[in-house]
Amino acid sequence: MSEYSVRRAIRYSASWTERLDEEQFAYLLILPAFLLVGAMAFWPLVRTFELSLHADNLFGGGYVGEFVGVENYVELLTGERDSILGNPFLSLSQPFSSAIIVTLIFTVVSVGFETIIGFGQALVLDQDFRGRRWVRVAIIIPWAVPIAIQGMIFYLLFQPGIGFGTSLMQDLGVFTATPLINSVDSMIILIVADIWKASAFMALLILAGLQSVDRTLYKVGRVSGASRWQMFWMITFPLVLPTLMVAMLFRTIQAMRVFGTVETITSCSTVPTLTCLVVDTFSSGRYGTSAAVAFITAVIVGLVATVYIVWFSDVS
Amino acid sequence: MAQSTRRRFIRTVGATGALSGLGGLTASAQQGTTTIQWAGNPVDNQNVGAINQALHDAGLPDDIEISVIVTSNISDDVQQQYRQWLQAGRNQPDILRMDSGWTIPFIARGQIANLSQELSQSSLNRIENNNFTASVNTASAPNGDLYAVPYFTDLPTIQYRRDWVTNAGFDPDGENWATEPISWQRFSEVINQTQQQQNTQYGYSWQANAYEGLSCCTFNELMTTWGGAYFGGRDNLFGPIGERPITVNEQPVIQALRMGRTFINGQNDQFSLQGYQQISPQAVLQWTEGPSQSAFMNGNAVAMRWWPSGLYDAAQEYGNRLGVMPIPYGVRPNQAEYQGTGGTAAALGGWHLALNPNSQNRQAAVEVLNAVAKVPFREFTFRQLGYLPPDNTYLQTQRAQQIDIWGDYLETLRLAGETAIPRPVTVVWPDESSAIADRVNAVLAQQQPPQQAMSALQSTLQDIEGSV
Repeated sequence: MSEYSVRRAIRYSASWTERLDEEQFAYLLILPAFLLVGAMAFWPLVRTFELSLHADNLFGGGYVGEFVGVENYVELLTGERDSILGNPFLSLSQPFSSAIIVTLIFTVVSVGFETIIGFGQALVLDQDFRGRRWVRVAIIIPWAVPIAIQGMIFYLLFQPGIGFGTSLMQDLGVFTATPLINSVDSMIILIVADIWKASAFMALLILAGLQSVDRTLYKVGRVSGASRWQMFWMITFPLVLPTLMVAMLFRTIQAMRVFGTVETITSCSTVPTLTCLVVDTFSSGRYGTSAAVAFITAVIVGLVATVYIVWFSDVS
Repeated sequence: MAQSTRRRFIRTVGATGALSGLGGLTASAQQGTTTIQWAGNPVDNQNVGAINQALHDAGLPDDIEISVIVTSNISDDVQQQYRQWLQAGRNQPDILRMDSGWTIPFIARGQIANLSQELSQSSLNRIENNNFTASVNTASAPNGDLYAVPYFTDLPTIQYRRDWVTNAGFDPDGENWATEPISWQRFSEVINQTQQQQNTQYGYSWQANAYEGLSCCTFNELMTTWGGAYFGGRDNLFGPIGERPITVNEQPVIQALRMGRTFINGQNDQFSLQGYQQISPQAVLQWTEGPSQSAFMNGNAVAMRWWPSGLYDAAQEYGNRLGVMPIPYGVRPNQAEYQGTGGTAAALGGWHLALNPNSQNRQAAVEVLNAVAKVPFREFTFRQLGYLPPDNTYLQTQRAQQIDIWGDYLETLRLAGETAIPRPVTVVWPDESSAIADRVNAVLAQQQPPQQAMSALQSTLQDIEGSV
């Protein structure tokens, strides 16, 4: 019997798992984990989508009414649901499109500042100086504060008669006398509150990236006569960029889902974000509409995450 | 050693046997007891023993008792919880404590039991005849069937510093402010002059933030005192949705808004009302219950609009320096277009007890609700738990008026109960409420002109009513 025939005989006599090639076998091994993750991550999304295809049911005992296809989506996007979604932000005419823009502005501005400030903090923490441990603690504390406490701090700060923030900012000619009911003032306060809290998160992640940079590269740079700025731009930044992208991805996703900070500091009626619309419509028993807004929010967040990940793979 | 161990074993076995026997006896004694699960708050839970005793004193059979499960302190969360439980067809809790502000949607969806078919006729008569009409209305279907027993009520009044007002030259006792409402114009003069004389930081503290409290309560009563209404008068408060007039853009509502703006911004406001004074800080536009009460309790405000619990706190703090009066009026009832508006008006708050239709202890739960409506239990909740009973007849008794602290203010609270204005709760009220609160707050904050904002609000409310 030839060697080939022997091998074939062994293969046919083996169990079906042994007949799989290595790649197929690897997929088989990860299948249970994939199914579990799928059930945990995608089933709620599928269920939300299914709910979003049903009418609101305000009178009956069930959660949702009859199947209406994509009617909820059409009415959300054409403005037919405006009356039940609350007031648009500022003069933007439709609450839904307004909420998308408000959420994006909040995300871009806050994540932008958090990245710059976090990078600065990380560069400071990367230096060896006396009391570095205490500075680290000071930077981390805001991140450790629960959202509700963070919200109460800023709420009380700008509550007339209680906090000093309002009169101070008014004296500087920046805010109105009632900033927590003024949409523009509230938006600024929310962004500042978010930067205050989340910069530390960025700093910690970027610091991890900075500390993984091979220090000998700086020696080479110094020998080559590179300036500090050149060493930062040619060595530090490219090597930290993958970490920076991951940090920005996390923060962007978090910022796009912002709700707790808004609700505790101002209110969803003053700064209506996408998640605010989901919660408000859910609270009023409009589960179909709420599911539709939630699904669109998930799609937008998913798209942004995909763009990041594609960009991130290019950067890597 | 072995002997000692054997003895110990025999003692242990003997003791275990005796305990088992006692346990068996207790169990057999409890076998005939039906326990009704009551969804309540921490106060109910902490006082469950006393509540059971009070229910038995009010005639509940000894073999029925209640146990309390604690729900959230936040009314909206409780509502969501009940909605989920009832949609899932859970048979417990047997009795559900429901906010008078959202009982009607549960009635409309057929999710709670019709008590007109369950309670004894004497209980039904007692509830319908003795309780504040507004409380009963918020627990009833459009055909008049009762679906919940009013448990306690919340009625706002104006609480003010009587000592300061008297020093400023006014005579609240002589003019009988406690039971004869004064006009908003006179009120603004009183507060303005007192504030100037006492040099206090604030005059009148109230709640004008853009939240449910503004639409359901503060503005609802302000508008009603001017003869205005959201849906053309009291008859349309609870529907029919889509078929009732929407009257938020009528003159009484505009006048109420202009008065609110004058209170906050004075005569410099483009839409101010002549003869009314600036008495409130701009801060009220951001204030809900907590901050507005703090201003008064810290001695920084002459007066505040607050609920009975605030009255109790203020009376403890200020003693006889505290004065209480009903909400002032904008126009007299005979000057108002809609029946039941004009004159003083107090927004109705409070809680009801409803029966889970899936309860497996339905009869025993009904017995509990029968006992709740009786006078001995009303007196217990008032005296021991500090809950203001919705029972107007009981509140007129000498016994009620002798209850510590409350007795001095009972006549004012009773008047508030008789003139209470419920929030117009239907299944679309949550959507309408936020739209109203946002617009009203924006007008008071000078961000939108009153007439223009109310026309826009009318259009929004029409859309919402048409959405179901």
